Amino acid sequence: MSEKYREEYEVGFSPRLVMEEASRCLLCLDAPCSSSCPAGTDPAKFIRSLRFKNVKGAAETVRINNILGAICARVCPTERYCQAGCSRSGIDKPIEIGLIQRYITDFEDALKMDIVEVKEPNGKKVAVIGSGPAGLTAAAKLAEDGYQVTIYEKEAKAGGYLRYGIPEYRLPNQIVDKEIKRIVEMGVDIVLNTKVGEDIKIEELRKEYDAVIIAVGYSEGKMLPMFENNRKVIKAVDWLKKCKDKKGNVKVPENVLVVGGGDVAMDVVTSLKLLGCPHVTDVVYEQFSEFKASKKELENAQEQGVTIIDGYVPVAVARGGIVKFKHRVIPAELKVKADLIILAVGQSPNVENLGVELEKGEINAKGVRVPDTNVFFAGDIGHGEKTVVWGVRSGKEVAFEVKRFLGGKK
Amino acid sequence: MVKKDLSITFMGVKFPNPFCLSSSPVGNCYDMCAKAYREGWGGVVFKTIGPKHYLIDEVSPRFDALTKEAEPFVGFKNMEQIAEHSLEENLADLRRLKKEFPNQVLIASIMGSNEEDWEVLAKLVTEAGADMIELNFSCPQMTSHAMGSDVGSNPELCKKYCAAVRRSTKLPFMAKMTPNITDMCVPAIASIEGGADGIAAINTIKSIINVDLDKKVGLPIINGKSSISGYSGKAVKPVALRFIQQMKTHPQLKDVEISGIGGIETWEDAAEFILLGCKNLQVTTGIMQYGYRIVEDMKNGLMHYMDEQGVDKLEDLVGLANKNIIPAEELDRDYKVYPEINNDKCVGCGRCVISCYDGAHQAMEWDKENRRPTCNKDKCVGCLLCGLVCPVGAIKPGERVLKPGRKAKNLSKMVLQESVEKL
Repeated sequence: MSEKYREEYEVGFSPRLVMEEASRCLLCLDAPCSSSCPAGTDPAKFIRSLRFKNVKGAAETVRINNILGAICARVCPTERYCQAGCSRSGIDKPIEIGLIQRYITDFEDALKMDIVEVKEPNGKKVAVIGSGPAGLTAAAKLAEDGYQVTIYEKEAKAGGYLRYGIPEYRLPNQIVDKEIKRIVEMGVDIVLNTKVGEDIKIEELRKEYDAVIIAVGYSEGKMLPMFENNRKVIKAVDWLKKCKDKKGNVKVPENVLVVGGGDVAMDVVTSLKLLGCPHVTDVVYEQFSEFKASKKELENAQEQGVTIIDGYVPVAVARGGIVKFKHRVIPAELKVKADLIILAVGQSPNVENLGVELEKGEINAKGVRVPDTNVFFAGDIGHGEKTVVWGVRSGKEVAFEVKRFLGGKK
Repeated sequence: MVKKDLSITFMGVKFPNPFCLSSSPVGNCYDMCAKAYREGWGGVVFKTIGPKHYLIDEVSPRFDALTKEAEPFVGFKNMEQIAEHSLEENLADLRRLKKEFPNQVLIASIMGSNEEDWEVLAKLVTEAGADMIELNFSCPQMTSHAMGSDVGSNPELCKKYCAAVRRSTKLPFMAKMTPNITDMCVPAIASIEGGADGIAAINTIKSIINVDLDKKVGLPIINGKSSISGYSGKAVKPVALRFIQQMKTHPQLKDVEISGIGGIETWEDAAEFILLGCKNLQVTTGIMQYGYRIVEDMKNGLMHYMDEQGVDKLEDLVGLANKNIIPAEELDRDYKVYPEINNDKCVGCGRCVISCYDGAHQAMEWDKENRRPTCNKDKCVGCLLCGLVCPVGAIKPGERVLKPGRKAKNLSKMVLQESVEKL
């Protein structure tokens, strides 16, 4: 069953289909898509390039703006950003911008295009902690301008949540590898299996490097007190990591209960189904009208036959894996007995020994720099949404500020 | 369920409907023509039969298509010459077709390289049972310069060969014209003077449709080289209509019957050719792309059009538009018409603003906040480019105004198109 998990769920466009989709684009005067990407992507420009048969030019537009263009093309909830204001919606439905971007980056890959130019070394050194979307983007943006960048990653492979979180059917690790290879070829050094704060002190980094960027991300799954030390319970991020690490070669029980309704929960339930789990029940705190997961991921989950129950909150867990839920509004109760319970109720960062303080999951400082230090921060622990595209945005922003701080070129 | 009589008499022969295969790859043998008859075509022009001494040797590949965005065939290039089967096979096919489909019209297309060829071929196809003959003066990709469009652009040869055919057959025949000429009326008149009963127009336009950017050679590539050859399909329709209109309004040709050819795919295309004076219609490229079945919708669509027009005989529509095509100097230039924008239909793409600024007169202004265009009448010249580029048909001809200093007239009585929307 793991083949299904390993295969990209969404089928990419063929050259003819992508041209049909590009032809649906109205080529707007003011292109709402291009003003609504957190990462500054300009879909209006790359779709127009495609329409006028300049796919290489389209690839340049995507890549120069976003070093993780092939990843964002696959994982971005475009319905919330570029596609939200699409004028084509006035006729039928928005342009499939994510899929078009994927076609363009696949084309770029197939032609082995080398788009980003790296400037001569400027003698400045920057350390980045964490190799998720924010860390990778910051590293690439700095390397582009001649900074010598070293990324410290606690895991055995780089990529953070891209590698260990998002399931293979949505984001194959092969794509993550290729994007990281690009960044390594720009001169970025990645030190693996090294946890800053344990294996190396942040003070050492602060001395050795001109600037340090903390981009550790929300790597820890949240636990609810009632489930603590329950052997039937696993946190979503840990389960997803195991799946991705083993390329889907994991055993799934017959009957799994998932608690949570965000994109992570959708990744868990869909993965379970693709791995052959016959009974997947997802109980969600939010009601459908206020659902957090992207429509596309929710649709995928429903298409796979996941049972989704909305509006319930867990109130107790009994022996044998029986979880009792209560409806948040109406007088209703629900009991589910499962072989395995996966909690997808949010994530939090781990900034132990990094010398920073958190407030509501974000670093307790304005902007992107810890005041009076050479320490910067980006990604989930920075200010803003906790998505890949915001990671990219944040990575670009922190790189810009580091350059300003170090007096380098903008 | 609409039911209208599509039959029409062309050059003295009654066709069950005006739709025919044109002389081309689509009518290359008995099986193809029989299938076309069965699917409802009114007639077939069997692929051009040449003289025994002219051997056909085709290239491979031999077609190419001009595309635009997601549109696979805007225009089509063909390098195939005339029928490659032996004269005997072709004549046998003609005999069999006439025997099995006596009520549908069989037209033999012929092409010779000298008077004797034309006489012989006309006699042979007459004996084989053809109802009429088409003289191919116009194939632009022949390997002999004594044949094809080199003949059609030479009025003396047209006249001489028509006379030769007239001597050897009593059947009605038409001369098929090449568009690779400035004035088609000249060879058409020569053909009629030589004895032709009608004209078929147009054959394909000499073309280089695409160039391979790596190999630096036109397409299709035939062992590293390519040649100029005939261009057809939707893109040539405007050229065909123009030649036909010019012939149908020429004093010496206005009563000559014409079979219209050039990019016909839909009943609307067909109706346009009819309105400009064609009593017969021929199709190739549409069939090559979609198959013989396209005739179903051309026939049914034409019936609905007749119904809407309150016409019972197709004949009644022939040539109705000709009188309304007049010289540019005679057009009414006293007024302009402003665009009328329907804000409910508008989706706010701003394409009208872009085109008006970059391609017209900077009259369409943009309300950034509401994402809606407005027309500045001080600048607007009434060209209506805005309406043509609008993807949702939100802009149509609106207020009419007299240009300053012109004699007053009743503007509301002027005949204008109701929409410029392109589907």
